Amino acid sequence: MDFGLTDEQELLLDSLRELLERECPESYIAELDRTHQAPTSFRLALHEAGFASLGFPEEYGGTPCDAVTLMMLTERVSQQGLNNGYGIELLQAKDILEFGSQEQKADILGLLAAGAVPFALGFTEPGAGSDNSAMTTTAVHRDGTVTFNGTKTLITNALDAKYLLVMAKSSDGDDERTAISMYLVPMDAPGVSTNKLEKIVWNTNDSCEIFMDDVTLPESCLVGRQGNGFRQLMRNLDLERLVIAATCLGLAQCAFDDAATYASQRVQFGKPIGSFQLIQLKLTDMAIKLENIRNFVYKTSWMVDQGIPLRSQGALCKRYAAMAAFEVADDAMQIFGGIGVNAGTRVSRLWRDLRGHRFGGGTDEIMVHIAGRQIIREHR
Amino acid sequence: MTIVVAYKWAPNPQDAAVGSDGSVDFSRAKSAISEYDPVAFELARQVADATGAEVVGVTVGDASIDTSLARKAALSRGLDRLVIVADDRLAGADSTRLAAVLAAVVRGIGDVDLVLAGESSVDVTEGQVAMTLAGQLGWLGLNAVSSVSATDGGYAIERDVPSGTASMVLTGPAVLAATTDAVLSRVPGMKDILGAAKKPVEVLSLDMLDVSSAQVTLTAVSASRPAAGNRQRVIIDGSDPTAAAAELVGALRAAKVL
Repeated sequence: MDFGLTDEQELLLDSLRELLERECPESYIAELDRTHQAPTSFRLALHEAGFASLGFPEEYGGTPCDAVTLMMLTERVSQQGLNNGYGIELLQAKDILEFGSQEQKADILGLLAAGAVPFALGFTEPGAGSDNSAMTTTAVHRDGTVTFNGTKTLITNALDAKYLLVMAKSSDGDDERTAISMYLVPMDAPGVSTNKLEKIVWNTNDSCEIFMDDVTLPESCLVGRQGNGFRQLMRNLDLERLVIAATCLGLAQCAFDDAATYASQRVQFGKPIGSFQLIQLKLTDMAIKLENIRNFVYKTSWMVDQGIPLRSQGALCKRYAAMAAFEVADDAMQIFGGIGVNAGTRVSRLWRDLRGHRFGGGTDEIMVHIAGRQIIREHR
Repeated sequence: MTIVVAYKWAPNPQDAAVGSDGSVDFSRAKSAISEYDPVAFELARQVADATGAEVVGVTVGDASIDTSLARKAALSRGLDRLVIVADDRLAGADSTRLAAVLAAVVRGIGDVDLVLAGESSVDVTEGQVAMTLAGQLGWLGLNAVSSVSATDGGYAIERDVPSGTASMVLTGPAVLAATTDAVLSRVPGMKDILGAAKKPVEVLSLDMLDVSSAQVTLTAVSASRPAAGNRQRVIIDGSDPTAAAAELVGALRAAKVL
């Protein structure tokens, strides 16, 4: 088993390091976090350097790239201390490349190429989080148009996005596999309004409620086939879980490095606190968790590249990575002591952002639900 | 017409260990394109894009500089092709000998009318190779070059000089050493990196080049860190900016700085 990097991976990571030093220093991230702004200029720099079209087919201006390499890049951007800084675009492009019309592909990929946020994922509703079947947003098809009514909530990046990728019920019936369809709804369409939510995590990604009141659009806003929305949604969720796991890995590595450096410099009782075994125990257990997350992320990425069905692997990976990474950040906070809880410290931001990954993209608990069912099914 | 980029595959200073005596140990450092050289690659590419010239990278050193990674790292930065002299007889070679080998390679390429380099290597930091290369070739050599652009029949150059910036034009062949901030070098993307593997590389034997053996040996005997200044370690309370400024001025006058 070869754990080394290829020349291409090494050079790509070198390029990314250069770009991060230039365009995404800690002072930039801290300011974005303080002012609740998105990393727009860094996102544009990523696009200009060709990083954001990695993994896209060449006919759409991209460069094919394996999942292992993409997760390395995701980990590296997160290791800089920036949450959700890389990888989201891949998911957005995948959804549209697989199911979108030619017009939708041209539009969305054009926005991605311009460094914009093409769409936000509009799934969650006040009464329908993990339980998609409880969704109440409706999409009524009539005379070549579709009319939307409903409320979405906790929608990430919607204020920056041009579209909302809406999941809505387009027919009656409780079977989510046939009742739900997927649509691209422009955020500036008449009848769409938003309410920004103030949250304590993920300051560089806005979150909001979105209200759709008789929003009427041509039927060409449908993505894929009517009634196939749930299956389309499920298709790329494993990749989303993998991107989240790689993000958690990078953020946790950043917290670990900060804590280890602090432990070697902070002097109490006449010596660095890192010389005390209770601190060494924390750092050792943190290092073990990081190694486990890393192995989980790259084994799962390798499975994607080999075309091996992930079955429960994506959910297992996401659950473990989110929980273990938060434990690493929590121990880092403990090592920093009172200094860590001061506003503006990097470790406190990492701790906050990692907490969000324990529910963003699926809660720890729903990952058990997904993986547990699969495990039982495989052992019948 | 050909533009040569003379660069060094050098240890990365981020991996260097600094000893308590101030010595810098590069033995465990991974190598990379010397930190001051990407600016030369970028300037060469920009001039070549404007003139249709070919950009050829040239590097010389011991055998370790010729790896697959080293080749791709250079070729992904806008070169059209690469020429390498990798020979352990060049291990630890002084700047004059390196410049002599570079000059032989440049003469062999032919049709070269511009050589661009960084202002120095990141590990040795003597800043001698580029100007010695100019001397070996018998060409004009200019350091501190902050801008190069093609003109009819030559190049417009800007140089950082103590009094500011000097603008000039040159017509003949020249070796130019660029300042570290002359231009923002592009970051190689995946397409550049994948494309690098397909570009031609020529490996020349030192024996094939018209370079005389080293006549003078140079041996480092010792090195020491610069003497520490007499630091006063005075910290001024800045809670009252006006008083702090007055105190700072007073302290500087007392130290005869003002």
